[in-house]
Amino acid sequence: MNDKDLRQMQGLMDSLERNGLKGAVVLDLPSTQFVRINLMLLKGLSEDRGLAGMFISVDRPHQYMVHLLSMHQIKAAGLIFIDAISRFSADSKVASANVGFVDGPFHIDRLPTAMSQWEKGNGSKAKLSECKFAIIDNLSSLLTYNSFASVELFLRSFVKALDSSGNVIVPLLIDSQKSMLLYEVARSISREEIRVMDIQKGMDNKPMRISDQNFRVEGS
Amino acid sequence: MEKRYEETAKREGLVRIDSGIPGLDEMIEGGFPFPSVVLVSGSAGTGKTTFALKFLCEGAKKGEQGLYFTTLSEPTQWMLRYASQFNFIDKEYFGDQIVYMDLGQLMREVDSNQLLAVMEEKIAEVVPQRIVIDPITVVGGMLKGDYRLFIFDLFNRLKNWNATTLVTGEVHPGEMYPPEVSYAVDGIILLMLSEEGGARRKYLEVLKMRGTNHLTGKQSIDITRKDGVMVLKARF
Repeated sequence: MNDKDLRQMQGLMDSLERNGLKGAVVLDLPSTQFVRINLMLLKGLSEDRGLAGMFISVDRPHQYMVHLLSMHQIKAAGLIFIDAISRFSADSKVASANVGFVDGPFHIDRLPTAMSQWEKGNGSKAKLSECKFAIIDNLSSLLTYNSFASVELFLRSFVKALDSSGNVIVPLLIDSQKSMLLYEVARSISREEIRVMDIQKGMDNKPMRISDQNFRVEGS
Repeated sequence: MEKRYEETAKREGLVRIDSGIPGLDEMIEGGFPFPSVVLVSGSAGTGKTTFALKFLCEGAKKGEQGLYFTTLSEPTQWMLRYASQFNFIDKEYFGDQIVYMDLGQLMREVDSNQLLAVMEEKIAEVVPQRIVIDPITVVGGMLKGDYRLFIFDLFNRLKNWNATTLVTGEVHPGEMYPPEVSYAVDGIILLMLSEEGGARRKYLEVLKMRGTNHLTGKQSIDITRKDGVMVLKARF
């Protein structure tokens, strides 16, 4: 990560902390930036704040995020990967991480049960119940494999379950320009919305308040 | 009501990014699918590298990261010397927003797995949204190991790195595309030269673009200092 990325990450974490690092928060940003922002979130939440968390891969095998973390020297010891796509990806990439493989991403409604079964059977110290954040990479990809109705149902129950378990933050990365319907659902179950906009060359990197409740974090 | 939601959600499913080529996005439903691997094929002088550079500069203009792999061992200074003749090239992009990496020497020394590892290291470092490999066709002649398997692995991983990649393919006049590459890509764009009435005219044709209802047939193009490659006449 370069200085610009680190400044943006700091702005992002400041915005999340204003909400007490709990509950669902919509992060509205271009789809092309999801990987970058996920990396920043993992650094900010897992490495810098030492929070245990889960990263659910439905868009690409978890190995890619593991590689990114390693490349950027981000230590994410308390991070559990739930990989719902590897079995369908025909990808031979290798990575070492605390990972559970679950069937999916079809039948997203069965994911919570599959995760729970994995936790009971994994025999490791990894406890999903101890996670303080949960990231789904990414919500829009679920629509490739599931109906809109089932994704909506999953999202509502997933957030509700984590909300009821205490201080768990669930950043929901959405591109409102590309996934308007999902964005509306995510907004309806979130405590806050953060618009994460790419900085264009030469723009000011400082976080900028755009309303009483929303923050636009500029940076790339 | 629910059916309408499903239809809307389906339409929203595929993300697209601007190609940067004036007139092309209108032919391919708004831009290249993201992520995807697109082959830009053509013989010498058809504008493949110009096309690829414009694609990267378009992304840089929007704040995206770009990664340019050259397989020709051409130093950045020489590439930039010629490329800087185009108005769309902003030298400030290069080095930070557009990272340039020469694979030429490396390809002579390593096998396909090592080459893939080096490329992935760079991708993980830069985290690009746009990648160019220019030209991919050189790799087959120099690489130790199974070229087709390498192409399959490389293209699969490029998409999983969440980037749209343009690979350029040099072909002989009259040849459409390199077959060992074309089977693995999501899109094929042909750039052609045709002698008509004593003059050489340039054309572009979208031969394949997965998930896209693209315009078919040859479209006239021009290469200008201002825009690089541009589609002159698109019949919509």
